[in-house]
Amino acid sequence: MKKVLFPLNVEEMWSMWQDNPEAGLLAGGTDLLVKLRSQRIRLKTIICLEKVKELQQINTDGAQIFIGAMTNHQQLLENQVVKSRLGCLHQAAAVLGSPPIRHMGTIGGNICTASPAGDTLPPLYVLQANLELVSPTGSRIVPIEEFIYGPGKTALAPMEVLKQVIIDLPVPGIQTHYHKVGQRKALAISVCSLACYMQLAPDGSVGEARLAWGSVGPTVMRFPEVEALLYGRKISLDILRQCGELASQKVTPISDVRAGAEYRRRLTANLLIRLLPD
Amino acid sequence: MKDSTVAIGTALPRADGPGKVCGTEKYAADYYPEGMLWAGVKTSDYAHALVKEIDVSAALIIPGVHAVLIHKDVKGSNRVGVPESDAPVLADYKVCHKGDPVALIIAESREMVSRAAAAINVEYQALPAVFDPEQALLPDAPVLHENRADKNLLLSGAINKGKGALALEECTFSVESEFNLPAQEHAYLETETGVACLNDDGVLELVASTQTPFRDRMELAHALGLPATKIKISAPYLGGGFGGKDGITVQGLLGLAALNSSGRPVKMWNSREESFKSSSKRHPARMHYRLGCKQDGSLHALSCRIVLDTGAYASLGGPVLALAMEHAAGVYRIENTYIEGFCVYTNNPISGAFRGFGAPQVLAAVEQMIDMLADKIGMDPLEFRLKNAVNRGDELGSGVLMSRSTGIVACLQTMQKHPLWINRRQWEKDAPPFKRRAVGMAAGMQGTGYGPVVADVANAKLELLVDGRFRIYSGVADMGQGNNATNVQIAGEILGQSAAAFELLQPDTERSLPSGSSSASRTTYSFGNALQGACRLLKERILTRVCQMGMGIYQEDLLLVPGRVHHIPSGKDIPLTVIATAMTDSERVSVNSYTAPVARHHEIVNPAVRAAGFPHLVFCFACHLARIEINELTGEVTICDYLACTDGGRVLNPQLYEQQIQGGIVQGIGYALWEDFKVSAGEILSSNLSTYIIPGSLDVPDIISLPVETVEDSGPFGMKGIGEIGINLPYPAIANAVARATGRRIKTGPLSAERVWQALQAEEEQ
Ligand SMILES: Cc1cc2nc3c(=O)[nH]c(=O)nc-3n(C[C@H](O)[C@H](O)[C@H](O)COP(=O)(O)OP(=O)(O)OC[C@H]3O[C@@H](n4cnc5c(N)ncnc54)[C@H](O)[C@@H]3O)c2cc1C
Repeated sequence: MKKVLFPLNVEEMWSMWQDNPEAGLLAGGTDLLVKLRSQRIRLKTIICLEKVKELQQINTDGAQIFIGAMTNHQQLLENQVVKSRLGCLHQAAAVLGSPPIRHMGTIGGNICTASPAGDTLPPLYVLQANLELVSPTGSRIVPIEEFIYGPGKTALAPMEVLKQVIIDLPVPGIQTHYHKVGQRKALAISVCSLACYMQLAPDGSVGEARLAWGSVGPTVMRFPEVEALLYGRKISLDILRQCGELASQKVTPISDVRAGAEYRRRLTANLLIRLLPD
Repeated sequence: MKDSTVAIGTALPRADGPGKVCGTEKYAADYYPEGMLWAGVKTSDYAHALVKEIDVSAALIIPGVHAVLIHKDVKGSNRVGVPESDAPVLADYKVCHKGDPVALIIAESREMVSRAAAAINVEYQALPAVFDPEQALLPDAPVLHENRADKNLLLSGAINKGKGALALEECTFSVESEFNLPAQEHAYLETETGVACLNDDGVLELVASTQTPFRDRMELAHALGLPATKIKISAPYLGGGFGGKDGITVQGLLGLAALNSSGRPVKMWNSREESFKSSSKRHPARMHYRLGCKQDGSLHALSCRIVLDTGAYASLGGPVLALAMEHAAGVYRIENTYIEGFCVYTNNPISGAFRGFGAPQVLAAVEQMIDMLADKIGMDPLEFRLKNAVNRGDELGSGVLMSRSTGIVACLQTMQKHPLWINRRQWEKDAPPFKRRAVGMAAGMQGTGYGPVVADVANAKLELLVDGRFRIYSGVADMGQGNNATNVQIAGEILGQSAAAFELLQPDTERSLPSGSSSASRTTYSFGNALQGACRLLKERILTRVCQMGMGIYQEDLLLVPGRVHHIPSGKDIPLTVIATAMTDSERVSVNSYTAPVARHHEIVNPAVRAAGFPHLVFCFACHLARIEINELTGEVTICDYLACTDGGRVLNPQLYEQQIQGGIVQGIGYALWEDFKVSAGEILSSNLSTYIIPGSLDVPDIISLPVETVEDSGPFGMKGIGEIGINLPYPAIANAVARATGRRIKTGPLSAERVWQALQAEEEQ
């Protein structure tokens, strides 16, 4: 039997955690419970974040959006600001897991699991999301690419919690996309994924471009050299192929039971071609 | 007067629907008897090893652990399996694959079971292992079962018809290819499970998720050393079976546990990982084919070699090979054939029965050969098939005579007239950028029943209850295919009753009668035939009794209608309740036995293959069409449309019929595109459903199912079994489309996005 604690706010959470320093945090449990079941993790006490009110809300002040760590993927999917301004994040939530998983799994859990296949991560990288981490002694802001430094590895300090994700809302003229290849159409872990953020001038030339790939290295990967290739150019098959060639040399995929490294390398390049306007 | 919704041919709602949807129907997994203990196993760490010592002492001292049993605690033969009894309930002197159970733990909770399993210390002496069936056939290969004269060869055989392979030289055109198909996991929702208890009378009572309660009873008696009369098994609705529960799964362990639990009930329920490890799979197959035709496109010669990997134990490997050989030449007249087959033991997970039973593998191969040959001679693949397909009275390439309803030509003609076929070229041309489209097709059949040697017997029992309703004692388990619902329809039609008049009793070794397995597309065919007889008998008895009750002497004057018997001349009605009370207990029960006819005239194969079930008499037929779209950037295949034309004889219930066809096709699409049971050196790499990918609802298109009805006069109301045929053709239909789209034959299944992408690469590099 495990002890499960339900703090109602951050204060209560700290005091419960201090009383049970060995406890683990549970958000939606869709990663944690899998690990507990296979005994990759053992916990006697669990602190459930479900009712901690400071972690719940999605707010925006017009310039930024603040997404509470406990926002589940379904809420993310249904949020109108996310849908209209953060297309890539909306698209990622749409292809994450399945309806039951989307109703349980949270953005905070997806980030803290730090899997290179996490679907919200490539969008958060290109959106240059900042993470607010809180601890009993204060809070700090860390950019997502500094927060995750390896598969399952994060900068979370002992007794620190991800409170919310802060994203600058892109200005009009910015396009974002998310493309995923999994082994089937739903309930599939990504074999390779790509998020992109592109500023397009009225003549169709690219201003700032950001590209982030999932499942082709130990963390989500961005390559400034590849992004630079797009600068000032119009999107064409040719330029996307060039970017793809370069990116496919830079990624470091592995072969596992889901797919081979060579295939993932090729997908790295080919997913870019989906950025061609229809 | 009759409630028309019961009539044969109408979509009577499934009798098992409401209970299942509302969650009130109890599956074996739903039983939690009071005071129960959990049972579970410790499995082998080795694919092949001698068991030197099993030290259970550390497990026994864990609080809550009731008992730990090893092979020495088994009082009987400790072997299960049909027809070959070679799988131990608990491994004794050796282990033959990584799923072999070495010790059985009984404890208060599942958690304690797994803790105890970890605490058991087994000393092994590793033996060289063999994982490749071809290598297992070599003279110096490690031998799994030392007592076998044929060593690792479970069964082999050859069919040599006409001039055999030599006739390939007489062909104007010929093609040659090799195919490798992986194991397929049944992946039923309800993993292997049951509860058992030794009751006060010393009877071992089991409730199990099984397709074969009556056979299990005999097997358990033998394995555990009990008289069969001291064993009672009941089989509630199964949460899926597909052949994976055709025989003992956990029943031996459960029985053993209940014999050692001080009278407390015991439950066992495999986790998904345990299920993957211990249950049987579809046989991985390696096939080499040559096929040739004459200038005019008439098939002339076929030669093939089929090697099936049966894994550590025989399971139904022999019969699967026999059926594979029988179906290896497809639905065509081919004068000269040489078909050789081998079913081989290896230290891999066990292979056994799985919907299609060997046919999906060989049809995947031969139907691709047919397309390759059609391409080579520049003939339309459908025309080519029509030209060579059998009619009644013809012999298949495998030498089997088609003496019963034979609707393959009608199926092909139906497809030929369908817009999905007619408009295929235009549809292919309209592919969007970075997509390729192609339409593929395949044709095939499925033999039904047990073949010529094992008697296919069903015994139906029917009772008129005193409340005027009828109870059908089903002898064959319903694993979801809906045979119970069809029983209602058959009985309702003959007895003139509405669906509400029937109570269904699930198979139970004490109350119902042995009627064979729920398998081989024979369930409704055989049990339905038996039930028809039982219904007629009871009807006759009821009407006779009414005559005796003063209604004259002519049964023709009487009409059985819902709840009553109507006397036509007088207009009088006599309620069934009144008639029932006038009858004695034994009069109210009718019993009828049915034995399916067999094909008697075949000496074309060796006796061992014949004994394993070659040939069949009744076949159903089908052809399938798949419209696919390939994403050139990723290799992903999308099935856009799917059409199945099926000759399953007369359709008794269009809804159940369609469910079977669709379910089979979905499972076949999984086999074609995603399902890859990966094993390396005996270790399962795709250990659960997160890496073993089965299709979800978004992965399958709407499926059009067109019944092409023939009348099979030996089947109840003209039907033939269609539980399996649907799974046989998605693989070749999709593979033929992929080949058309990529210009390449992918020889190893499944046709994963990665493999399709590789095929596209290879084309680019050319
Ligand atoms: C069947 C299935 C399908 C899935 N499909 C996908 C998919 O398609 N794409 C995908 O990306 N993922 C998928 N996942 C993984 C999972 O659903 C997601 O990663 C999800 O976002 C995890 O969120 P959670 O709230 O369930 O996390 P939990 O399991 O509750 O937590 C995960 C980890 O993060 C820690 N944590 C959670 N919240 C915080 C916080 N606020 N502060 C500090 N630490 C925290 C927990 O302690 C734990 O270690 C799938 C999982 C399952 C079971």
